[in-house]
Amino acid sequence: MKNRIQGLLAAMAIAVCTNVSATGLATCDSGPKSGWQPIQKLEKQLSERGWTVRRVKEDGGCYEVYAIDDKGQRVEAYFHPVTLAPVPTKSR
Amino acid sequence: MAWVRVWPKWQRLLHAGLALTMVAALVTYEGGRLHELAGYAALALALLRLALGFGGPMPARFTAFVRAPMVSWHYARAVWHGREARHLNHNPLGAWMVVLLLSLGAGAAATGALYVTDRFWGAAWLIAAHALLAWPLGLLIPLHIAGVIHASRRHSENLISAMWWHGCKRAESSDRARSPPEA
Repeated sequence: MKNRIQGLLAAMAIAVCTNVSATGLATCDSGPKSGWQPIQKLEKQLSERGWTVRRVKEDGGCYEVYAIDDKGQRVEAYFHPVTLAPVPTKSR
Repeated sequence: MAWVRVWPKWQRLLHAGLALTMVAALVTYEGGRLHELAGYAALALALLRLALGFGGPMPARFTAFVRAPMVSWHYARAVWHGREARHLNHNPLGAWMVVLLLSLGAGAAATGALYVTDRFWGAAWLIAAHALLAWPLGLLIPLHIAGVIHASRRHSENLISAMWWHGCKRAESSDRARSPPEA
């Protein structure tokens, strides 16, 4: 009985440890960070388009932006850190 | 041999609904329409079950099956040594699992629902709370199923078909946790 319970717990621990890897919606081939444009420039560019930027973080070598767009919609969008061009994401 | 209906239909339907919506939300963890719909449904069902746990029919109330920590600890030790008593209602470890699954499920769904409002969109602390509440379910649900299979084998019965199908278990004189609970 003890052995069976121990074996089960061990198997589940391994399953959990190998499974914790969240994935992003896009990746960018953006090279070293020294070549990246500053986040502030992206924020300025987006606010000029009427977006309200809530948060910018890095994900998969891209800038990931949480914002309310010019139509009032919640958006999660990706931009290339070097060109600041929008990066298409796989649809949800 | 006497059989008693332990899980009434409403309880079996609630269980099935919670199981399906929580697994659906975990599988679609990257977000999207299905993730959100599953989450809203799970939130409604978990809140309903929690409310019935305080004010519902006697056997379904938390006071009918949740035991004090020390009692539960002794039960866990008995399981370890393979000599735990059979319970008609949830056993003490199963009871704490019920409490944990319901509270984490409700908490995860509530933080997720808040996150997709305009007010909280992009709030890093909220999505962190959502992840912290939701991911343990990925471990606890398999552990719950493992516990059910283990208890089924120990007492030679099929607890899965009792909860998912007919709702009945055999009654034995040595059973614990009949409802209403013993002192």
